[in-house]
Amino acid sequence: MKVFIVGAGQVGATVAEALHIEHELTVLDTEPTRLNALAYRFDLATFEGDGTSRRDLIAAGIRDADLIIAATSRDEVNLVAGMFGRREAPRAKTIIRTSETEYIELWRDRQLDVDFVVCPEYETAHAISRTLGVPAARQTDVFANGQVQIVEFDVEEGASRDIVGVPLRAARIPADSKVAAIINQGQATLPGGDDAIPVGARVVVIGSPRAAREWSSLLAPGEAAVRDVVIFGAGRVGSTIARVLLGQGITVRLIEASRERARRAAEAMPKARVYNATGFDADFLERERIGLSQAAIFAMRDDTKNLYAASLATVHGVPFTIAVAHEAVSLAAFEQAGIDVAVNPRAVTAEEIVRWAHDPRTQQVAMLEENRYEVLDVTTRETSRYVGTAFRDMPVHGALIGALVRNGSAVFPHGDDVLQAGDRVIIFTEAENAPWVIEAL
Amino acid sequence: MAARGARIGPRRRIAVDLEASVNLLGTLGKYLGLAALLPTAVALVYGEPVWPFLVAGAVTSGVGLGLERLTSGAAERVRAREGYLVISATWLLAACFGAMPYLFVGGDQLGHPMDAFFEGMSGFTTTGATVVTDFDELSHSLAMWRQFTQWLGGLGIIVLALAVLPRLRVGGRQLLESELPGPEVDQLSERIKHTVRRIWILYVALTALEAAILTAFGWTGIDDELNLYEAVAHAFTTIPTGGFSTQAESIGAFAPATQWVVLAFMVLAGLNFALLWRSVIQRRPGALTRDEESRLYVFLLVAASALLIIELTTGEIAGSDAPIRNGVFQAVAIMTGTGYATVDFAAWPTLALMTLVLLMFIGGAAGSTTGSLKVIRHLLLARVLRRELAQTLRPELVSPVRLSGAVVDERIVRAIIAFVLLYIGLFVAGAGVIAVDASLRGPDMLPIDAISSAAATLGNVGPSAGPAGPMDSYAPFSDLSKGTMVALMWLGRLELIPIIVLFTRSYWRV
Repeated sequence: MKVFIVGAGQVGATVAEALHIEHELTVLDTEPTRLNALAYRFDLATFEGDGTSRRDLIAAGIRDADLIIAATSRDEVNLVAGMFGRREAPRAKTIIRTSETEYIELWRDRQLDVDFVVCPEYETAHAISRTLGVPAARQTDVFANGQVQIVEFDVEEGASRDIVGVPLRAARIPADSKVAAIINQGQATLPGGDDAIPVGARVVVIGSPRAAREWSSLLAPGEAAVRDVVIFGAGRVGSTIARVLLGQGITVRLIEASRERARRAAEAMPKARVYNATGFDADFLERERIGLSQAAIFAMRDDTKNLYAASLATVHGVPFTIAVAHEAVSLAAFEQAGIDVAVNPRAVTAEEIVRWAHDPRTQQVAMLEENRYEVLDVTTRETSRYVGTAFRDMPVHGALIGALVRNGSAVFPHGDDVLQAGDRVIIFTEAENAPWVIEAL
Repeated sequence: MAARGARIGPRRRIAVDLEASVNLLGTLGKYLGLAALLPTAVALVYGEPVWPFLVAGAVTSGVGLGLERLTSGAAERVRAREGYLVISATWLLAACFGAMPYLFVGGDQLGHPMDAFFEGMSGFTTTGATVVTDFDELSHSLAMWRQFTQWLGGLGIIVLALAVLPRLRVGGRQLLESELPGPEVDQLSERIKHTVRRIWILYVALTALEAAILTAFGWTGIDDELNLYEAVAHAFTTIPTGGFSTQAESIGAFAPATQWVVLAFMVLAGLNFALLWRSVIQRRPGALTRDEESRLYVFLLVAASALLIIELTTGEIAGSDAPIRNGVFQAVAIMTGTGYATVDFAAWPTLALMTLVLLMFIGGAAGSTTGSLKVIRHLLLARVLRRELAQTLRPELVSPVRLSGAVVDERIVRAIIAFVLLYIGLFVAGAGVIAVDASLRGPDMLPIDAISSAAATLGNVGPSAGPAGPMDSYAPFSDLSKGTMVALMWLGRLELIPIIVLFTRSYWRV
């Protein structure tokens, strides 16, 4: 497939990284240094030009593209590039990145002539809201309209002995869930019945949302789902997070240093309590009892501020901290500094784009452990050689079927169940095996 | 250097375009004089002299025409600054116009210049405070003129002019916003022509409906006191929440059924006309039922009625024979500032009287014909106070004031606080003057009577307590007190600001 990417920033580069092996990529950007950096790392074509210029797009070969991804940081560029793409390559699929939730709504109402729209703020907000629902999780992804969740947990000392330290065969694993992988000291295994989950490892679990919550309470007893959060920063990211959480009935307090932004947030969200203050004012944190909230989310524009404010909030007693990391390198720094969850909006966005771009049949994809593993959602073809095979007889090629979506509802298969044509299969696999798995089904 | 030959004129000291203002005032006066035609027709029907109305109309139109001819200012030159002057002056002119027929044929009491002016101002400002002591002395045409001035004043002279005079629409929005009662939080997003026309259609329709129902009551014998004349006369003063009556006993002269109908129309007149239009004519009842001000208005009416009913049933006072009807009627009539009465509440004990005086400070909804502080200001003030209390504990809290879900601009919030303070200040000053003047020159009255008279005139309510009760009149007051009350009525009708700014230096200075 020929993929045309407009924008070689963090999102464009991450998308290129995920797609360059299987597909033929062309990346267009106005900045030659970025293009060079990409071209040295991956085998792809680059073109220096403007995404809003029809001449540049045609010269770069947009007419031959099968998939057009407009992923610059500017909405206007993405919209124009998407529009020209639709004109010049009518058969190609188009994906655009946007910062305005308004465009997502327009796209859902079929008023925007593109095939897919992603919004970093929106994806970040949803990633955070999933984390809050399963507080012990390091990372969560949802599939099949939320019926299936993939959750990655850290296994710590306090975890229940019903599932930790005993062979999986004997462990009391919550119904409708499966252990997809155990990652111990950087070494991942797709476990069999004799394997046990050791303390200090990470586990990847595929299951229903209820099972995911049960896992959370087994691995981290005493951690209830979050009902009360404080958000630092009421910019685009912070406001979107606040709106999503308020929609779930969670109590939200917003802290914003800019008077004007605080005012706008307070006007737009009557249910949130908004403060015009910095997150670094110890008196303020003390007076408003910020430490009593169940979780704090740091969504300011500056990673260093997020890090410092998170440390300060931890000092004041906030038990659970989630920080937005705008720079990719900050993810590791945040983790090192003790922030419980770090989210990079651009990485989340790239993941969403890759998920969509992977294969026409592949509805969603999640990337785990720095992209070493993928979760695929593939619809089984009638010609697949595994149709009619019982799950216990499936070969283990570094892949595991976690769940099926059959006639619109999720099924968590047992050994005796048989794969049928048309089943949507949710598979956990090593990244390098992903093309093979898709091929086989 | 190229010189254009520009001449620097003499220094101008006044920032107000007086010529344009006077010109517009003249135009308004010219048309206002036509209002005398209605009582003239009544006089013809009843065989009464027509000259007082013809002369009053001719003088008003003549003065208007003269002012218009003497000045050359185009109405387009009237901006916000000039608007305040034009509005304030127009209402003074209207009061003079209203006073003229009383001066000519008003008899001993009304013929006295200050009394005539008082009655004229009370009419056009829809206050309903009267100096008439002997209602039998009023001719049919003069009584109808009293009623008609209230109907004209209800929606505002300039609002009427905007509806019929296209020439005025150029700078009309400013004039409209200054004259329509109440702070309009809703943006007037539509064309002025449409807004004004709708409001007038509703106003006329409500008046016609009430007149029709009351006339039918007379014909069918439900109320023998009613005929076409009485029905129209009282419809003219119900819808503008005016309160003048042709009867000495006010609405108490009519049957209970009539009283309930009048009561219902008073409640309607206290609602926001724009919302009433949307919910009734455009069939969107949510416009009213979801509006927080309208809901509070209804709640306050119910609460006030309940309070008065309790006071009426627990004590042997005037109106205790039918506590529900009299309680509800008095509560509605006073709160909406209509000032009708079915019983002589001036004779009530202090507790019940205090309830009425407090009701005088409430008023109806913004965009209605009522006066006083209005429900919206109470509502927003309560929310501002609640926010202030929250912010003493949480100084960083950002909490916009909302009304029916929409954020209220901070400038409007400040304007409301300023308005309430000014209102209270003027009320205290007015009550002080009346109380001191009464203690020096009579009439003999209690402090609460002075307080209530100031509240009743500033709030455009009408009758008050003591000597100025609903079955009595303001006649015993001295000219100084009457003058004070005229000023209070004028200020109250125009919502203070357009008049008070005229007394500031920054208004006049360049």
